[in-house]
Amino acid sequence: MHKQHSSNLIGLLVVLLGVACAMPVMAAPIQLPAIVEPANQEQHVGKVIFVELVTPDLAAAERFYAGLFGWTFHDIQAGGTEYAEAFLDGSPVAGLIQKNIPAGEHRQPAWLSFFAVGDVDAAKKVALQNAAKVLFEPHTIPDRGREAVFADPQGAVFAVLSSSSGNPPDVLASPGEWIWTSLITSDPDTDAAFYQKLFDYEVFELPTSDGSQHLLLASDNYARASVNTLPANKPNVHPHWLDYVRVENTVKMTAKAVALGGRVLVEPRIDRQGGKVAVVADPSGAPFGLLEWPETESKEVPK
Amino acid sequence: MNISLLRRLALAFVVLTLMVLLSGCVVTGGGYGYDDGGYIGADYYEPAGVYYGGWGPGYQVGPVRGDDHRDHRPTGGGGHAYRSAPASHSMPSIPSQSRSGGGGGRSGGSSGGGGRR
Repeated sequence: MHKQHSSNLIGLLVVLLGVACAMPVMAAPIQLPAIVEPANQEQHVGKVIFVELVTPDLAAAERFYAGLFGWTFHDIQAGGTEYAEAFLDGSPVAGLIQKNIPAGEHRQPAWLSFFAVGDVDAAKKVALQNAAKVLFEPHTIPDRGREAVFADPQGAVFAVLSSSSGNPPDVLASPGEWIWTSLITSDPDTDAAFYQKLFDYEVFELPTSDGSQHLLLASDNYARASVNTLPANKPNVHPHWLDYVRVENTVKMTAKAVALGGRVLVEPRIDRQGGKVAVVADPSGAPFGLLEWPETESKEVPK
Repeated sequence: MNISLLRRLALAFVVLTLMVLLSGCVVTGGGYGYDDGGYIGADYYEPAGVYYGGWGPGYQVGPVRGDDHRDHRPTGGGGHAYRSAPASHSMPSIPSQSRSGGGGGRSGGSSGGGGRR
């Protein structure tokens, strides 16, 4: 009798031990790769150091970006979330998250820019003091760092990240890597002041021929982003950040994007000092820019 | 084996298991976009039908070349919500140094390029 009771209790202990060991694994937070490998001590506040895309069709997005830029993907699954880390030549360039758009909701995917900060919680405090909204509270992702998502005073969505592996160094972007970011907003003046308070940017004014306001934001003596007025007299415009991938030929890459199922939002055009830009959308509608940035200044001028 | 000892051990395991389960529920690092709270990424989809484009002539969004300062016209901060960069500061470009160490170094120069994000 005693023997059977003992074995029952031991069996119970084994089951409890098994459950105790299994549950933390099941409840473990998603593990994401560091954004800088090997880790460094660099910190470039105000620089976009990572971008993420939430998409309703992860497989289609992977096919599109692999075909367009040669990105490769490492799929990660945790807690019901499907995440894919995109790489170019072995370095992480982006993260993609599978997320269905609930029936009845009218939304479209968008890339999210992560700006480097030293202290996410301090950034939240400054953001809130300056009319921003917190969309996702500061939280820590193992190996990635601490991050939060905000909407600026005009409603453009962006994220801040205190990377636990340091920041990517300020080096020349290769074709297929992110090279630039621009904010298109209803009030460049107020937004520039907001981001200056948040990231301690230097703000430079650029003259324009179209009457709108063009600003340039800089930190560490590098240009980090531009700020432009939303185009006038267009319906349903919305303040937003737009990230640009460096390409060798904007015209050819725009055509390639279309061939892969994307569409053109802004036809290829000459930008400042010969840089050629276009804006395209991936098959699920997420917009991004293409920027041709030649080694030397082009003599082509805007028409 | 002593039955009361086994019972105490079993009780200890039950308490331990509950503590582990509770710690598993208090997710450390789930957060935005990644947890199963039913809102993964929901708030950084843009509203549908947003119009992108409409860039007229002269609408320029890209960086400038680091060795070209002709555009910078500082106003000394007057009349703006932001502080303009001092007139003595040149307008910088994007990084131009290549990953292998070549290129123009700080403030861009004409070789251009940008940091890997």
